[in-house]
Amino acid sequence: MMKLAGALLVLFAGTMIGYLQAARFAARPRQIRQLTHALQRLETEIQYGQTPLPEAIGRLAAIVQPPVSALFAEISETLSRADGTTVRECWDRTLRSGWSATSMKKPEMEAMLRLGATLGGSGREDQIKHIRLAMHQLQAEEVSARDEQHRYEKMSRSLGVLGAALVVIIML
Amino acid sequence: MSPALPDLFVQPLRGILERLPSHAADTLEEIRIRENRPLEIGYAGRHGFVDQDGALTADYRKAYMPGREECRALLERVTNHSLYAVEEELRRGYVTVAGGHRIGLAGRAVLERGAVAHLKDIAGFNVRIARARSGCAAAVLPGILDLKAGTVKHTLIVSPPQQGKTTLLRDLVRSISSGDWNHPAAIRWGGRKVGVVDERSEIAACEAGVPTFDLGPRCDVLDACPKAEGIMMMVRSLSPEVVAVDEIGRPEDADALNEALHAGVRVLATAHATSLADVFARPVLARLAEDCVFGAYVIVSRSGGQVRYRIVAAEDAVREVKARSMPAIRSPAAQLEAQGP
Repeated sequence: MMKLAGALLVLFAGTMIGYLQAARFAARPRQIRQLTHALQRLETEIQYGQTPLPEAIGRLAAIVQPPVSALFAEISETLSRADGTTVRECWDRTLRSGWSATSMKKPEMEAMLRLGATLGGSGREDQIKHIRLAMHQLQAEEVSARDEQHRYEKMSRSLGVLGAALVVIIML
Repeated sequence: MSPALPDLFVQPLRGILERLPSHAADTLEEIRIRENRPLEIGYAGRHGFVDQDGALTADYRKAYMPGREECRALLERVTNHSLYAVEEELRRGYVTVAGGHRIGLAGRAVLERGAVAHLKDIAGFNVRIARARSGCAAAVLPGILDLKAGTVKHTLIVSPPQQGKTTLLRDLVRSISSGDWNHPAAIRWGGRKVGVVDERSEIAACEAGVPTFDLGPRCDVLDACPKAEGIMMMVRSLSPEVVAVDEIGRPEDADALNEALHAGVRVLATAHATSLADVFARPVLARLAEDCVFGAYVIVSRSGGQVRYRIVAAEDAVREVKARSMPAIRSPAAQLEAQGP
C-alpha cells in the first residue's frame, strides 16, 4: 500500500517538473514579444509625446503583464524618487536582480542592458535608433525562442512523465 | 537654499552645498558647476570658491572639483532623465527646473544646417536661483502709475543681467493683480487682470500649468510660450489689462508689443541694458523708445547687496540720452556755431 502511494507521488512530481519546464519554454517567446511591444510604445512616447522617461516607463508597466511589468514599474518608481540615481544604474540593477523572475534568458537581457546604457542620454533621433536596434535583437531572440519551444516543449513534458515512470519501475 | 534645490545634486556635491555658511546660503544667486574645475558660487553680488567642507575661499586651487559622475547625475536630474524631451531648451542653452531656477548649460554645440540643433557633452552648469522678493515692487509701482487711466504706464525695466529684473517684474505682477498699488489715489482701484507670457518659465515657474510663485489672484500665465505669439494669443483670448513679458529684444517682439499697445493693453517688459543710452543703442529697443512707446523706464542697479531703482519718465529719458550724446555727435547747428567767428 505504502509502495503504491510513493509510486504515485513520484509519478505526480515528475510530471509536474516536466510541465513546469515546458511552461518556461512556452513563456519565453511570449515575454520577449511583450518586451518588443513595450519598446514600441516607448518609441512612440519619446517620438511623439516627448514624455519624460520616468513617466514613459511607468506607462510601459501598464501595457505588459507580470512578471515583465514589475521590472518597468520598479525602474519608473526609482527614477521618480529623484535620489540622484542615473537611468543606467537603475536600469542595470533592476534588470539583473529581476530577470530570474521571468522566463527569459541572457541574450534578451544583454540587449535590454545595452539599451539602458543610452536611454534618456541623447536626442530624439538617436533614442529612436537605439530602441529600434534593441527591438531587432529581441525579435531575433524571439525567433530562436520559438524554435526552442517547438523542439523542447513537448519533449520536456513527456520526459517528465517517462522519467518518473522509470524511477517508479526501478523502485518496484 | 530653497527647498527643491538640493534635490538636484548628488553626494558629495549636495553635502558641500548644504554646509555653505548661512550668509552665503541666504543670499545665494548662482551655483557654477564645471566638470573637473573649481566649484564656484555667486552670492550678494560677490563670488567665491567653495572647498570640500562648504567653506568659502578666494583661492581656486583649494576649491572642490565636481567630477564626471556628479555632473552626469546633475544633467539627468535637470532634464528629468530625458534629454530628448528638452531639445528645444538645449538649443537655447538653458533649462528651467521646478521652482523657477534657470540652469544655463555649456557644452559642445551640435549643428544642423548651420544652426545650433542642441548641445552635447554638457560639462558646465550655471544654476541661477530664483527668489520671490515680495514687496520690492512697492518702491517702484507708485512711480509708474498712470493716474488718469487708473492703471500702469507702459514700462520697460532695464538692467544688466543678474540685477533683479525678473524678480521686480514678478513682484509688479503680483502687486498689480492683487491691487497693492501703494499709492493714496489708487486705494479703490482694486486688482487688474494681468497676463504673463513666460517664455523662459522664470516669472511664474509653472509646474503643470500652475504658477509656483505668488502672482496674485488675477493673473493668467502662458507658460513656455514664445513672446511674440504669446502676446497676441493673450490679447485675443484672455482679455488682459496688463501684459508682462521678460527680456524683449527681437524684432518680432516689438511688433507684438505695438499690437498690444494699440489693443489698449498696458505692457510691462524687461530688457538687458546697462543704461538708458544702451536702450537707445539697441536697434529694436531704440525703435520702440523713439516712438515713445514706453511711458516710463525703471533702471535697476545694484551695489553690494543693495538693489536700487531709478524711475525715468519717457520725455526725460529722451532728453537725457540726447543731452549725453551731444558732445560726441554734434548736431550740424552746433558745429556751425563752433566754426563761427
